[in-house]
Amino acid sequence: MSAAARARSLLTPKTVGWTVVVALAAAFPYLGASRFALHLGMLVFIWAVVASYWNLLNGYAGILSLGNLGFFAMGAYLSAVMAIELDISPFITTVLAGIVAAVIVTVLLGLPVLRLRGIYIALLTLVFADALPSIISLTRQWTGGGVGLLGIPTFLPGLERWQGYYFALLFCVMAHVVLARIIHGRTGLAFVALRDSEDFAVAIGVDRFREGVKVFAISSFFTAMAGAVFAHTLGQLSPGMLAIDQFVMVISMWLLGGAGTLAGPVVGAALVTVGNEYLRVYGSLRLGVLGAAILLVVLFFPGGIVQLAGTVTAWFRRDSGGSASLQPPVTTGGPTAARGGDAAARART
Amino acid sequence: MATVVSGLTLGSLYAAMAVGLTIVYGVSHVFNFAHGHVAVLGAYVAWLVLGTGLGFGAGIVAGSAAAVAVMVVFGWGLYRLAIRRLLTRDGWQFATLLFTLGLAILMQYLLLQAFGPRVKSIPTFTDGSVLLWFGRVGIHQLIVLLLSVALIAAVGLFLQRTATGQAMRAVSLSVPGARIVGINVERIFAYTFAFAFAVTGLSGILLGSTVFMTPHIGWEWMIKGFIIITFGGLGRIQGAVVAAFFLGLVEAFVTLYAGSLWIWPAWLSLFVIALMVRPQGIMAGRAA
Repeated sequence: MSAAARARSLLTPKTVGWTVVVALAAAFPYLGASRFALHLGMLVFIWAVVASYWNLLNGYAGILSLGNLGFFAMGAYLSAVMAIELDISPFITTVLAGIVAAVIVTVLLGLPVLRLRGIYIALLTLVFADALPSIISLTRQWTGGGVGLLGIPTFLPGLERWQGYYFALLFCVMAHVVLARIIHGRTGLAFVALRDSEDFAVAIGVDRFREGVKVFAISSFFTAMAGAVFAHTLGQLSPGMLAIDQFVMVISMWLLGGAGTLAGPVVGAALVTVGNEYLRVYGSLRLGVLGAAILLVVLFFPGGIVQLAGTVTAWFRRDSGGSASLQPPVTTGGPTAARGGDAAARART
Repeated sequence: MATVVSGLTLGSLYAAMAVGLTIVYGVSHVFNFAHGHVAVLGAYVAWLVLGTGLGFGAGIVAGSAAAVAVMVVFGWGLYRLAIRRLLTRDGWQFATLLFTLGLAILMQYLLLQAFGPRVKSIPTFTDGSVLLWFGRVGIHQLIVLLLSVALIAAVGLFLQRTATGQAMRAVSLSVPGARIVGINVERIFAYTFAFAFAVTGLSGILLGSTVFMTPHIGWEWMIKGFIIITFGGLGRIQGAVVAAFFLGLVEAFVTLYAGSLWIWPAWLSLFVIALMVRPQGIMAGRAA
C-alpha cells in the first residue's frame, strides 16, 4: 500500500468516528464525571475488550467458545498471584499472565478443540470455565479460594479512579487497534473465505486449523490481559466473576451489540454494564431481562443493535436469511459460495 | 460396594437425563442448552402437585403425569414457535445454541421467581434400607435405579417398536432419506422435542428425589448430560447409557476418595481425554 493510499484509507468515516469516540472517552474525566461514573467507564472498557475478543472467536471465526470468562479469570488470578507472591510490577505480570494464560488455554483447549466442530468446542470451553472455581478453591493458599483475593497491588500505589480509568481506556484502545488489524488482515479474510466457501478456501491453501489456533491464542491473550487489568485496577478478585450472571452479561454484550461486527461488542459492553448498574436494585430481574433479550435478538434480529441502527434496507433484508456477514460459518454456505472465491483469493496473497 | 451401588444409582439417573438430550441432538442436531432446566422444571411441576395434599403415592403419579403433559406442550411449542424458524437459517447451529442458552437463562430466572432460591427436593420414596450381602443399601436408591432403567428401556422400546420412534431413527440417520420414504421431517422434529422433553421431565423428578433441586442446578445437569452423550457418541442411546453408568461410578469413587471438589476437574479431564482419543468416533453419525 502506498503512503498516499494509506493516508486515504485512514480518513474513512469509520476511523474518524472511532477517533471521536476515543477523544470523548479521554475527555470524560474532565467533563465533571463523578468517581462512580469513572468506575463504570473503567468497567466498560475492560468488558469491551473481553466482549470484542469473544466476538472475534464467535462472530468472526465461527469458533463457538463459551469459556472466555475462564480466560479472563485465569489472567486475573495469574497476574494477581504473581504480583503478590513474586513481588513483580503489575505492568509485567499483566503481560506475563496474558502469555501464560494464552499458552495454557491454547494447548489445553485450542489444540484439541479446533480439530472439532461447533458444539464440542462450545461445551469443552464451558466445562473448562466451570472447572475453574474448583481449581481456585483447591489452590486457596494463593488465590484465597471462595473468599476472594484482597490487597492486589494496583498499577500505581494508591491508584485513583481517574488513573485506573485511563489505564483501562489505553488498554481498550490498544486491544481494539490490534483487533481491527486482525479482522481486516489475512486472518480475518481467511475466515470470511472459510465461511463463504470452505472447499475453495481450503483448495487454495487456507488452513482452518492454523488460523483457528492463531485467533484462539490471540483471543485468550487479550482476554487474560483484560482480567489482569481488572485485577490491578480494582485491587480485589473473587471467583464470583465466573458465576452465571457474569457469563450471561458478557455473552449478551456482543450478542445484543451485534455479533460479527467491530462496534457491536463495544456498544453492547457500554449498554449492559451501565444498564446492569441501574437495574441493580431489581436483583435477579436483570438475569431474566438479559435472557429474554437474548431470545428475542436471536429470533428476530440476529445482528443486534448495530444491525438495528443500520440502514432501513439492511434491516429489512434480515428475513431473507441473507445476512451472511452476521451469521457465523457453522454450516457450509452453499448459496454464498460465489462470494467466497473472491475472499479466498485475497486471503492467500 | 455401597459406593458401587450409589455410583450405579447416580449413573442410572444421569443416563435417564442424558437420553432426552441425545435424542434431540440425534434427530434434529439441535443442542439444547436448556436441557438441564427442562429437567428441573419437570421436577418442580411434580413438586407442586405433591404439595396439593394428594398424599405421596397418588401425588407422585399425578405429578409425573402433570410433568409429562407440561413437557410435551413445552417441547412441541418450543419447536413450533422458535426452533423451526431458526433451523432455516444459514447459521442455524449457532442460532439454536444461543437461543437455547437464552431460554435456559430465562427459565432459571422464572424458576427463581416462582420457587425461590432455597434447595427443594422431592421426598424419597421410602426411608428404609435393606441388608444385602455386602452391607446396607437404601431402598430408595434401588427403586430409583429400577425406575431409571425402566424409563430408559421404555424409551428404547418406543424408538424400536413404534412407527413414530422408527421415523425418528430414520430422520437421525438421514434427513433426505427420511423424506424420500415419505416421512414428514418437520412433524418428526416436533414429536422429538415433545417426546424428549417428557422423558427429561421424568428424569428430573427422579433426580429431584435423589439429589435435590434449585433453580440453577440445571446448568450442572446439562453439562453432565453433554459429557455423557459425548462419551457415548452423540445421538446414540446405548452409548449414552453405558457412559452414564461409567461416569456415575467415577463420580461416586472420586467423591469417596478425593472429595467433592474434584468432581468437576475429573469430569473435565475425562471429557478432554475422550475428545482427544476418539473424536472421530464421537463425531460419526449424520453429517450436519
